[in-house]
Amino acid sequence: MKKLVKIPLIVAGLGAGAFVGTFTMYMFNLDMKLMAVVAPLLEKWYDSRDHEFYL
Amino acid sequence: MGTMKTVEKIVNPRERVGEKSPGKIYTDKLKVRSRREWRGFRDTFYDYTRWCYLMFGVLGKFIMNPRNVKGFLRYRWMMSYLFVPHGMDKFTIGLRDEALRITHTAMNFVIADVTQAIYNCFRGDRRVGNDVKYSNECVITDENSMVTFMMGFDRDEVHTILREVPTMFASNIFHQFNVMHYLDVAQQNGIAGDVCPMPEAEAGISMDDDFCVLGCCAVQNNTTCDGSLMGNGIIAKRLERQYGIPTFQLATPLRHQEPDVLDYAAEQIKEAIAFVEEHTGAKWNWDIYFDCAKRVNYATKCRNAHLEINSTPYPQFFGAVFSLYNDTNYMGNSGRDPQFVKIDKKLLELAEKGYREKRMYAKEYRHRAVVWGVQPQYVIDMLYWLLQCWGIVPLTDMLSMIHSGMIAEEDTPENREQAYRDMATLNMEMIMRNHTHGGYDVLINDLWRTCEKMNADIAMMWEHMSCKALVGMHGMFEEMGRELGIHVMWVCHDLCDPRVYTRNAIRGQVNAYMRTVMREEPLDPSLENLPDDEAY
Repeated sequence: MKKLVKIPLIVAGLGAGAFVGTFTMYMFNLDMKLMAVVAPLLEKWYDSRDHEFYL
Repeated sequence: MGTMKTVEKIVNPRERVGEKSPGKIYTDKLKVRSRREWRGFRDTFYDYTRWCYLMFGVLGKFIMNPRNVKGFLRYRWMMSYLFVPHGMDKFTIGLRDEALRITHTAMNFVIADVTQAIYNCFRGDRRVGNDVKYSNECVITDENSMVTFMMGFDRDEVHTILREVPTMFASNIFHQFNVMHYLDVAQQNGIAGDVCPMPEAEAGISMDDDFCVLGCCAVQNNTTCDGSLMGNGIIAKRLERQYGIPTFQLATPLRHQEPDVLDYAAEQIKEAIAFVEEHTGAKWNWDIYFDCAKRVNYATKCRNAHLEINSTPYPQFFGAVFSLYNDTNYMGNSGRDPQFVKIDKKLLELAEKGYREKRMYAKEYRHRAVVWGVQPQYVIDMLYWLLQCWGIVPLTDMLSMIHSGMIAEEDTPENREQAYRDMATLNMEMIMRNHTHGGYDVLINDLWRTCEKMNADIAMMWEHMSCKALVGMHGMFEEMGRELGIHVMWVCHDLCDPRVYTRNAIRGQVNAYMRTVMREEPLDPSLENLPDDEAY
């Protein structure tokens, strides 16, 4: 019986945690701030690749 | 010179909930905004749910596929899609209520459509997915061509791949610097620097080997200018000679208002269809065509209804997203995807509700503008900025003013012959071509007709410094604007190359006009000068 009570509580807790986490990420634009850090590194990766030029 | 036209100023009786000065969230310390806009609980939560949909429902789902990860690491332009939520935020400055919902409904669908296009490109791409069977069912289609000639083919048998859309056009919406590398490549290889950067970037992508390679054949169109023809030539050469993909040139007449060009245009459509049949092995199906024709007509009815609403004091669906949605619906879709009908319906319902309740996008409407010329408004948040900063409502734009008549939708022997003419007409009167080709009447007179219909007092003229065709008409616009009492506000730019005209240089021209000619102060001073020149 205790387990049956626990499961919805755990689900609700996880849901609330996911909401708080994603909402914080959304509101403070953390997703785009992270991408702004990743982008220059990716650019180096693309620069390092060989391309077959054709005219 | 007569008196200048004025329009009634309308003040929004509803106070904007949440953030009063959205300009504060722009910062020069980062290439993105410091935080997202607070729109009150209800609208912030709605915006958050749409962000979740984009992050997890579209982008997250896309990157879970290993093939897409491979494509992501292969193609430089894919980096732009890291900034999709940032791009979405550009179109929602200051928006609340129906306006926010309309913008998200349309733009989220465009983003999902582009994501599907990338997925399809990677699936057939010889370097990434290499699904040969799928690739053999694909027809590469020029992004400047309306895909009417594909309307009678079964979507499960033949696939239209507009590979320039995700590679260049859409990716530039989310990241303003993404095409600079390709412009450099083109110029290093001898293309002049004053060519329109859009076809030049596409040529650079082809030279740099950064287009997906797939398809059993390709169709290019003689649209929309000398720059496009140059770019297409370079792309077609590589397609045919290196990759062995035969390319058909759909020669669409330029003087589309002359009735005697229609037979030739219809013949061209027939030839394009025969070319696709020959290379894909699929057969044209009139039932499928007329189903598509019904959907094209429905899209046209909805667009006409939006324009009708926009001609009233309470316009609802406008701005860059109106144009982008029309681009996707008409050019990329042409009635082929039934999902657009659902979105068309939803958008119209939202717009009608907004109109009934007299919803306004900003705290004050001071001027009503028709936006004309070659427009870079997707890359920057210009039209929404124009509204929130200066109270200028961008009622419609040149690219959204395409063919507005109905096409034959009943399957009869006469209508089958008419159908070729309808496809040709749609193609001739599609985005860009409708007003940049066809002479003085469609480029200049149509502007004044649109201003009159929409009750506009400003013609906002995008002056693309690399577009020789439109720059040559500058004096004629000025002369007639003075005669009719319409303010002609010139805003110079270099399309997707931000190095010559930065975002602030572009906005600065409006600021100067509004302060010196109109003698007005901004509605929201926090937006007048934004530190976002270096932002994505």
